[in-house]
Amino acid sequence: MPFELIAEPNYLRSVIRVSLTVSLIAIFVSTLVSLPIAFLIGFADFRGKRLVTAIINTGMGFPSVAVGLFVLLFISTDGPLGSLDLVYTPEAMIISQCILAAPVITGVALSAVESVDDAVRDTAYGVGGTRTDVALITLKEARYGVITGVLAGFGRAISEVGSVLIVGGNIAYADGTSKTRTITTAITFETRRGEFETALALGAVLIVLVLLVNGIVMRLGGR
Amino acid sequence: MNLALEGVSYGVDGTEILTDISLALESGEIMTIIGPSGAGKTTLLRLAALFEQPTGGTIRYDGTDPWALSRDDRLVIRRRIGMVFQQASLFDAPVARNVDIGRRVRWPWPRRIRAFLERLLPGQFTGSPAVDERTLEALELVGLRDAWDRDPTSLSGGEAQRVSFARALAAEPEVLVLDEPTSDLDPRNTAILERAIERSRERDHGVLLATHDMHQAERISDRVAFLLEGELVEVGPPGQVFKNPRDERTARFVRGDLLYDDNELLA
Repeated sequence: MPFELIAEPNYLRSVIRVSLTVSLIAIFVSTLVSLPIAFLIGFADFRGKRLVTAIINTGMGFPSVAVGLFVLLFISTDGPLGSLDLVYTPEAMIISQCILAAPVITGVALSAVESVDDAVRDTAYGVGGTRTDVALITLKEARYGVITGVLAGFGRAISEVGSVLIVGGNIAYADGTSKTRTITTAITFETRRGEFETALALGAVLIVLVLLVNGIVMRLGGR
Repeated sequence: MNLALEGVSYGVDGTEILTDISLALESGEIMTIIGPSGAGKTTLLRLAALFEQPTGGTIRYDGTDPWALSRDDRLVIRRRIGMVFQQASLFDAPVARNVDIGRRVRWPWPRRIRAFLERLLPGQFTGSPAVDERTLEALELVGLRDAWDRDPTSLSGGEAQRVSFARALAAEPEVLVLDEPTSDLDPRNTAILERAIERSRERDHGVLLATHDMHQAERISDRVAFLLEGELVEVGPPGQVFKNPRDERTARFVRGDLLYDDNELLA
């Protein structure tokens, strides 16, 4: 590990803490919103369903800098949420990561729910299941796809730079610890300063974190 | 529980699939539905099992029209019916959990939540065994008592279909609706399922069975109904339908003529 990080363990710890806190909260919130939407769309038949699905799939590829700019306009002093004073705060970063992750989670979970064979739903109904039972059994059959969606959303959130840089500002306190500096924005910052070793070390930490979270979630999901 | 179809019709997007079907199934009776592919057998069974609402006529269980009831009241009737499909569809869970699903969905929510927590933290909440006796009894009826902890992917097609049948039996239905359950099975698995079907009759359950196997229909039916192009052509005991049919179309179907000469027959 580079000398700088050993000399400043608080810096590293605070950057990891901010990254994980922001991304985990963002994923928790966007999962709460995305999964019901995925199930509603997956179970319902309505006019315009293909259009809605196409919009969600488009959302999976939203450019993060554009989302950051959009969120910044929304939370800036003149914006609708200006009174909340969210600019350059972790909360603003959570909002932008939610917006980026939600279409990914919704899209992948929707695809997983729709790929469950109709025979499973028929069987669940045929054994005397209510609509809730049919939905729960379908969810269970689609669980690996749903988990993949949440993980993909987490991957998108924690590895994202553009929007958190715009709405978070990559700010560190005077003592060097992070206020809104995440691992990714720190990598950008250290690279620009020519501190490649630090940047590389942070990159390795990011990869290990993503692997760790994936491993934990897959284990909880039973795979 | 008695089932009666009174002038039942069903159509989708202006296309009529079933027209004016009237028949009755008594408790302890096996009625077999025969007819060529596309005759409407599966649709008839799905209507009987309350998967679909008829577009005309009335279905009655013990004199009650389930579709005139609220969803909750209809659920009470639905839970007295068991359905087995042509293709076994087993959930991604051990055999025992596939078989007892019908009973688990009937549990009140607190019990279901306790059972869920028990699965997450074994031994902490209910202390219930991994498999109960009723599940094993249902599996025993299809000769798979020892398979309760097996993974569905390790089952042969015939075994999977027998597990599907055990799942329907485990919920103790009064009417069994079976859509060609033996069409993909070898003679041994077919014989095991036929024995289980006959055991259901002995328990006074009504059985509505669609099949392409004329020998099976003749072997186990109390009555046979011949369906052609969505119309019920003839209903009678196997001796009548197979040996002395009253309708020329039935005679030609059981002889196999219909296979080659549909248009002429329908004209």
